Amino acid sequence: MGMHLVAMQFIRIVEEVKTVDDLTAAMQAVTDELGFQYFALTHHVDVLAAEGAAIRLHNYPDRWADYYDRNALGVSDPVHRASHVTSVGFCWSRMAEMIPLTAEDRRVLAMGREEGIGEGFTVPAHVPGEARGSCSFASEAGRPIVVDLLPMAQLAGAFAFEGARRLWSQRGHLPKPPSPALTDRQRDCLLWAARGKTDWEISRILGVTEETVARHIKLACARYGVSKRTLLAIRALFDGTLTFTDIFRR
Amino acid sequence: MLHIMQPDARPAPDGVLRAMFAARKSVFVDLLKWDVPVIDGAYEVDQFDDAHATYLVLADSEEGHLASARLLPTTRPHILDSFYAGLCEEAPPRGDDVYEITRFCLDRELNARERRAARDTLVTALAGHALSAGIARYTAIAEMPWFQQILAFGWRCRPLGLPQVIGGTMLVALGIEIDADTPAQLAAAGILPSIDIPAARVAA
Repeated sequence: MGMHLVAMQFIRIVEEVKTVDDLTAAMQAVTDELGFQYFALTHHVDVLAAEGAAIRLHNYPDRWADYYDRNALGVSDPVHRASHVTSVGFCWSRMAEMIPLTAEDRRVLAMGREEGIGEGFTVPAHVPGEARGSCSFASEAGRPIVVDLLPMAQLAGAFAFEGARRLWSQRGHLPKPPSPALTDRQRDCLLWAARGKTDWEISRILGVTEETVARHIKLACARYGVSKRTLLAIRALFDGTLTFTDIFRR
Repeated sequence: MLHIMQPDARPAPDGVLRAMFAARKSVFVDLLKWDVPVIDGAYEVDQFDDAHATYLVLADSEEGHLASARLLPTTRPHILDSFYAGLCEEAPPRGDDVYEITRFCLDRELNARERRAARDTLVTALAGHALSAGIARYTAIAEMPWFQQILAFGWRCRPLGLPQVIGGTMLVALGIEIDADTPAQLAAAGILPSIDIPAARVAA
């Protein structure tokens, strides 16, 4: 059967899935078709802290999954970080070219290999305003991946993530309520703060008093329910109130 | 307000179209660096912007551009069959009730919240237009991140072939089936018109 037909069959199944078990079975089947042994469909958040609100579906060995969750690797997993710097699927062996890997990252990857997880292919999935996510397929350590099937893995990953999103939203977790809106002036102040300017510098740039700048930022923090401007900037970047392009634009 | 400009109903409000071509230049040429023609250094207009194209344009009360899309009949040369037929496993879909969505454009002046509102409104309008104009299927070409968003709209969307890297970008051709269920599918995925659209004004 041609690759496209296999992909279409999987897509039709995913469109019809009604339960997480159905989706797991479909993922298992397509993982086999793609020549992989493992799959992981997940939001990049601390899965234990999210208490079921985050998408998470996988067939990794139990021991590895437990360790992974206990150490909240969902937020720092190098695979997830790498998937944030690209828009298309990538092989894990290319990760070192994509993001700086720390000693801890290398330890986690080595540990995954010891638990039997070898090379993998991750498809990033980002729906604006929601947590980033991805769909990964992985081979048992020592087994090569079938490069010719990767375009199909790319498509399967995109539809699998959307299928999971649909299931999880029926469980009432997605989509999230709208983020708090900042006033234009609050956003301006935050933008300059995120560019590293002090309140005094921002007051010169915007032609207002330093107190006014401080008040705008304080009110913006209140709207997001955070107490630090660093966290405010991160939340605003996350929900799209600010973009990296805004911050680095000259 | 939503302006629907159809081939048999010209001329359209001048300002709305001009603002759209300027917004397209800003998005596709300046931002996305597409290699497409620019007229007078200000307007992105290509060979498919002819008497056969339909435009859906969302504009504010001063004819300022918010969002827009161009629909091309698939019974005539269009982008998928002219340049990207290789993205389709079979022949590109063609028919009186099949239109290609191209130049889906959200204005760069909008902030994240407004972009989302404009996007959702335009997507809803595309479905509404299809239903009233007898269009059963849209086709389109998308880069992968945009494709993930199109899937998240909740309508019935299928790839027409496997994704391919063309000119350094991974592209996929897709088909979107539109029927009486589509508006409810969009609504279930949270895609609702949030910019006031009175009865669609068709330029007469």
